[in-house]
Amino acid sequence: MTICGNIGVTPDRAVGIGLRGPHLREIMLRRPAVGWLEVHPENYFANAPALAALQDLRRDYPLSLHGVGLSLGSAEGISETHLQALGDLIAAVEPALLSEHLSFSVAGEVYHNDLLPLPYTEEALLLVADNIAWAQDALRRRILIENPSVYLRFRHSPIPEPEFLAELCRRTGCGILCDVNNAYVCAENFGLDAGAWLAALPVQAVGEIHLAGHHRGAREGRPLLVDDHGTLVAPPVWSLYEAAIARFGVIPALIEWDRNLPPLDTLLGEAGAARERLVEAVGSDHVFAA
Amino acid sequence: MYSLRDLQARFSRALLHNEPGAIADAIEPDGLDPAVRLGVYRTTVMLSLTDTLAASFPVICRLVDPRFFAFAADAFIRQAPPRAACLDRYGDAFPAFLDAFPACAEYPYLGDVARLEWALHRAARAPYLQPLAPTAMAAFAPDQTADMQIALDPAVAYIESAWPVAEIWTANQPEVLDPPPVDLAAGGVRLEVYRPDAVAEFRPLSQATFAFRRQVAAGAGLEAAVDAVLAAAPEFDLTQAFADLFADRLVVGCRLTASG
Repeated sequence: MTICGNIGVTPDRAVGIGLRGPHLREIMLRRPAVGWLEVHPENYFANAPALAALQDLRRDYPLSLHGVGLSLGSAEGISETHLQALGDLIAAVEPALLSEHLSFSVAGEVYHNDLLPLPYTEEALLLVADNIAWAQDALRRRILIENPSVYLRFRHSPIPEPEFLAELCRRTGCGILCDVNNAYVCAENFGLDAGAWLAALPVQAVGEIHLAGHHRGAREGRPLLVDDHGTLVAPPVWSLYEAAIARFGVIPALIEWDRNLPPLDTLLGEAGAARERLVEAVGSDHVFAA
Repeated sequence: MYSLRDLQARFSRALLHNEPGAIADAIEPDGLDPAVRLGVYRTTVMLSLTDTLAASFPVICRLVDPRFFAFAADAFIRQAPPRAACLDRYGDAFPAFLDAFPACAEYPYLGDVARLEWALHRAARAPYLQPLAPTAMAAFAPDQTADMQIALDPAVAYIESAWPVAEIWTANQPEVLDPPPVDLAAGGVRLEVYRPDAVAEFRPLSQATFAFRRQVAAGAGLEAAVDAVLAAAPEFDLTQAFADLFADRLVVGCRLTASG
């Protein structure tokens, strides 16, 4: 297999898009100019034709595996079967990046198909760090951990999220996937300051940025934003992205879109908008010192 | 304050069984009823899994209409939630669920239609294995044939139904805008699901060929497979049946059984 260059060397190659099933054929035919592709590994565990297509695309694009099912926040530990399948996929496509979420999906061996929130406590910190260390050892890969969108807070959750993430990095050597849309959604839902959240992240640990659209809802007169990945990136999220560039420099950034999937060109347009902001901030010939 | 394990078990109950009370006291209201906040998660979990099932069982969805499908899926998800994050494998228990679902009692063919859909779903995603040429047999002496065990392509499945499920399936494809009536009394079918090229398909088999191939697929040695068929069809031609398996490009491995 030909190995493509790394992600994120220049603004041209720093911005990727999420690859979803309905776009697969078109991307294979067109091979659009986009820096890299990100997929959910779970969609390739038991789907041979999809895996064959992914291996084909791998010749032309660096890949990122962005897990949604490892459940690093599970008190009962993580699934050996899942870890094995993920390891096999890593061997098959040699991704440039590997990421997961600061959340849980599995409880009582049931997989809830969502990223469920964790209380940020010492107990959870110990447990999540154990799970991350276990997964990184088994996969022999560094994992970037993404801040989730959350719709509720626990009464007992004393550790601020940036501190929780920073401590995970310190204990396990993992990195951070900074989802600026999620940061914005959480800030709006709980009346917090997303800029302050961003400023509290440890700079050197942040290895990837996510951009996506959200749905702005309200309940009982309070805003309740839902991270549905179903629209264009919102203007305040773009502003947050600009702040992220100022803080983290040229690092891989991704346009995610899941619900109401638009034509591929819409995603490519959003990737172009992200690229323009990078160029504006650092110039087109910037080379990131990896 | 709950332990993390307890908190997660309670969260699960709140979502799957719609019991927000199981966890509400651990949630900061932040100006809203915790049940409303939990509802955001519950909606995502139930809708995304219902969508997963609807994508794997489009004919069932069309037959019962999407609203009834969502109702059945909700009951199924609560009874048999996913045990792994690989959702391509979620839904294998749905046909049996439909057989037993009281609200579907008037539509006894639904379970078998769902079996056919699931077999097609699996076949479409099965690993690619190179079919063996008939010359692979040359490695074995003729008198060893009875002790041979054959591995069939992982895309293959055998579906037997007392209902005309092939006709029902065909009449309810998206391109059929005005489905013709299907005579439910038309009788049963024996189908082989396979993947000749990129797309999974099915075809009817004779009773004897079906019995033979189903035994082979189940891992029986050839002698046992033949015994199963001969009882019903004494004229069954093993040599031909065997050659046909290769000609149909369904054989991906063969070896001698432990007893052979």
